[in-house]
Amino acid sequence: MKRKLVAAIGIAGMMFSIAACGGDNGDDGGKAKGGKDGYAGQTLTVWVMDGSAPDQWQKDVAAAFEAKTKAKVKFEVQQWNGIQQKLTTALSEENPPDVFEVGNTQTPAYAKTGGLADLADLKSSIGTDWTESMNQSAVFDGKQYAAPWYVVNRVVVYNKKIWADAGIKSTPKTRDEFYADLKKIGEKTDAEPIYLPGQNWYHFVGLVIGEGGELVKKDGDKYVSNLADPKVAAAMETYKKFQALSKAPKDKDEATPQQGEVFAKGKVGAFIGMGWEAGVAIKANPKIEKEIGYFTIPGATAGKPEGVFLGGSNLAVAAGSKKQDLAKEFLKIALNDQYEGELAKLGGIIPNKDALQTNLKGNAAAEAAAPAAGGGGTTPLIPEWAAVENPPNPIKTYMTAVLNGKSPADAAKQVESDVNKRLGQKQ
Amino acid sequence: MTVQTERPPSGPADARKADDGGPGGPTSRAASRAGALTPYLLLLPACAATVLLLGWPLLKDILLSFQNLNMAQLIQHVTEWNGIDNYKETLASEDFWRVTLRSIIFTAVNVVLVMVLGTLVGLLLARLGKRMRFTLMIGLVLAWAMPPVAATTVYQWLFAQRFGVVNWVLDKLGWHSMADYSWTSSQMSTFFVVTLLIVWMSIPFVAINLYAATTTIPDELYEAASLDGAGVWRSFTTVTMPFLRPFLYATTFLEIIWIFKAFTQVFTFNGGGPDRLTETLPVYAYIEGVGNQHYGMGAAIAVLTILILLGLTAYYLRVVLKQEEDEL
Amino acid sequence: MKRSLFGRLWPNVTAVVLFVGFVFPVYWMFATAFKPTGDIISENPVWFPTHPTFEHFKTATHADHFWTFVTNSVTVTVLAVVFSLIIALAGSFALARVRFKGRRGFIVAFMLAQMAPWEVMIIAMYMIVRDASMLNSLVPLTLFYMMMILPFTLLTLRGFVAAVPKELEESAMVDGCTRAQAFRRVILPLLAPGLMSTSLFGFITAWNEFPLVLVLNKEAHAQTLPLWLSSFQTVFGDDWGATMAASSLFALPILILFVFLQRRAVSGLTAGAVKG
Repeated sequence: MKRKLVAAIGIAGMMFSIAACGGDNGDDGGKAKGGKDGYAGQTLTVWVMDGSAPDQWQKDVAAAFEAKTKAKVKFEVQQWNGIQQKLTTALSEENPPDVFEVGNTQTPAYAKTGGLADLADLKSSIGTDWTESMNQSAVFDGKQYAAPWYVVNRVVVYNKKIWADAGIKSTPKTRDEFYADLKKIGEKTDAEPIYLPGQNWYHFVGLVIGEGGELVKKDGDKYVSNLADPKVAAAMETYKKFQALSKAPKDKDEATPQQGEVFAKGKVGAFIGMGWEAGVAIKANPKIEKEIGYFTIPGATAGKPEGVFLGGSNLAVAAGSKKQDLAKEFLKIALNDQYEGELAKLGGIIPNKDALQTNLKGNAAAEAAAPAAGGGGTTPLIPEWAAVENPPNPIKTYMTAVLNGKSPADAAKQVESDVNKRLGQKQ
Repeated sequence: MTVQTERPPSGPADARKADDGGPGGPTSRAASRAGALTPYLLLLPACAATVLLLGWPLLKDILLSFQNLNMAQLIQHVTEWNGIDNYKETLASEDFWRVTLRSIIFTAVNVVLVMVLGTLVGLLLARLGKRMRFTLMIGLVLAWAMPPVAATTVYQWLFAQRFGVVNWVLDKLGWHSMADYSWTSSQMSTFFVVTLLIVWMSIPFVAINLYAATTTIPDELYEAASLDGAGVWRSFTTVTMPFLRPFLYATTFLEIIWIFKAFTQVFTFNGGGPDRLTETLPVYAYIEGVGNQHYGMGAAIAVLTILILLGLTAYYLRVVLKQEEDEL
Repeated sequence: MKRSLFGRLWPNVTAVVLFVGFVFPVYWMFATAFKPTGDIISENPVWFPTHPTFEHFKTATHADHFWTFVTNSVTVTVLAVVFSLIIALAGSFALARVRFKGRRGFIVAFMLAQMAPWEVMIIAMYMIVRDASMLNSLVPLTLFYMMMILPFTLLTLRGFVAAVPKELEESAMVDGCTRAQAFRRVILPLLAPGLMSTSLFGFITAWNEFPLVLVLNKEAHAQTLPLWLSSFQTVFGDDWGATMAASSLFALPILILFVFLQRRAVSGLTAGAVKG
């Protein structure tokens, strides 16, 4: 279904999908209302998520924005934990954040609430060559509610020294080789082969996608849990097999504690995460930088990498913002080729236009991520989905239950009613 | 540091006597008529604050409980009445009743532990010599003064899976399977830690107050009892306990309220997990309402929570009503 | 002889054990905060911070807006406690000293108010404050905190007021004082311990509150310390040194206040508690 569309982004890593070329309208900065000083003295509030926008990018965009509009921009970094609650209440307030980042899987739900401004004009002015598959999550009911910003998928981040100590010469190409290498690390060194907490559910979603499974299915006109599907169970078994090699807690996710910080201590062979998480490690322990390597998560066979979750974000404008025009000015700058390209370069993320992919050259994490992106996907892009991600996320509960010895079928049954309740929740 | 003051606080008998004087006293009748309004005026600020700051949110909450209020309605400021749907759905859900039962058991276990252990520690304080009493008192006061948010964080660290000192001690004591034990992994172990935390934090209040109360028991009562040939146990049951009874009632009432409402400890320690198995009513209301952005439903659960708390404390409230009646 | 030695011994031994049990978590918090990271994550616990470091305190206080949070917390807490003491004192005087119609009703009403489970009403409070355009302000926070502690303060003070012998007040009035003067010169000094002990409860409650401020105040300039402390786990992960340093800083003012006021406070509490 939609996943296949999204999958096209990954293909974008290697080939070009030809977007309907209406031709770029070019930079229409002169349109800024009220002349050159029209926005002077105003401050635009922009929420970005932890790990999304590198400091350098924030600085550069702020400078360009100020130069062009004479207005200031205030970036506020938000934590993922509890963000939906915070965003919902914020959107209902008098002074919501003018521009904010919203996860691609959560966008449809917010689009449906009426809290997001219509960005149709932006799509036609700067978005004609946005990668179509990425734009999917930003469109709801045929209307453009957000601008695609980036997507990213996970890779294996590993500690070269530990792998060398274990006598491993090359990075693994298949899932079995990967497992054997980790096993070897466990036997030959005193390091923990892999840090994989029990609730790294994005990785689990990737495995499900790799198996060709779906988390939800349609039952009549509503969505219900599909966790009992043998394909999901198979994905969970893979997860469990690798998790058994880790001493990480079975009931915590990759952010508590930040796996990058655990890795930074140099006692962990590898973890499955995103490029910026290696940055967390480097920040915690600069000495680790030269030991860090990346490789594509190996799949069942050598030719086909593991399935991955294409996590990503869109930028949206609050419907309640009193600075709609200024907000759009901001998006025009933040998403232009220069800064979108810079974001790709600094963050190692897949940018929203195919033409900007070249910026990824030389970024080890991004190069490791690219081969898998073609087989990537997302959680269902339906408004009902966001409720499932609210803590306590039943998918995480399912994972912990299996890791603690329940059969996947029993665990699926255990959380089924909760998943269905959330999917069927009144809107 | 001792607990004696310049003027030892009086027991309930004295306190009651103080009321007997009545308002009139030596003042004239005319003055008393003018003063008839005084008590209401004195109570006015407190009542106004209560109505405005508690009554209003409560009313709002009740109104919300009859609405379909989710993300869209909250963001767009739309009011959608849906009658008693929220209540019907809540009362029909098995989860709600399971959480209610869990909350009641949780409260009962904790209150019993706190009251029994707190009383024992209080009586121990009364038995100790001056220096020892001072030492123990310091310990109690430190535990009492720990703000719950900080205390919960400290307990997370004490019981941390890796490098937690509790697991290390258990391992050294020969219980090797506890070396890397995750206390947040099961319902019982989570409740164990939360209970320990709550009992640790609550004992000081009971113990110190109970000790202070025992110091107000007139020695003559014990002398009289021993003249009657009462032993230690009998003078305890005939003098100490009756004297402390009103105090124990009041403290139990407070502990029931505090422990039933305990949100920070349960929520911060393990977020109601694992598998939502340690959610108590306040946590459940919060997760369903704010967490799941099902605000109308959350409001209905809140109203039901308040009713259940009323039910739990009804007995004490009746006692108070009666007692106050006697006094007037 | 032997038995009486044992009789003298066991309360002291028990007391020592209890003392250790009660103090250890507090001690461990401070000890961890001062220990270098290597000593914190070591296979065998290091019982004393033999190489004390202020590193973790630096990490903790270097968090953005730390001093804003401190100022906000102190302001909100002190104001909430002071207001509630003043309002409660007036009310408790009426309830303890005067016979009037509806007195019983008032008492039960405040007992009910004391039971309010605030955490579950947060969204209602949020909507009220939002619709009054008072988000990101310390005013609603102060008012609600005052209300959270008002019923307990009022009921407890009532016990203290009742415990002050009426005769003292009357004799003062016979000596020519007005009722107000009698109150200020005779009753208030006697009530001081009661006021202090009651305020301690208020300090803890207001200092500690976080679910409400989390929803009401999204902007850092109006946030308080509990948010800073609870954000540590996500921001600092398993950096227990920094987390414990933050906890220590957070707990310290209340601990000092308690130890400072404890002598007067404890003595008075019975009077309040007895009357509930």
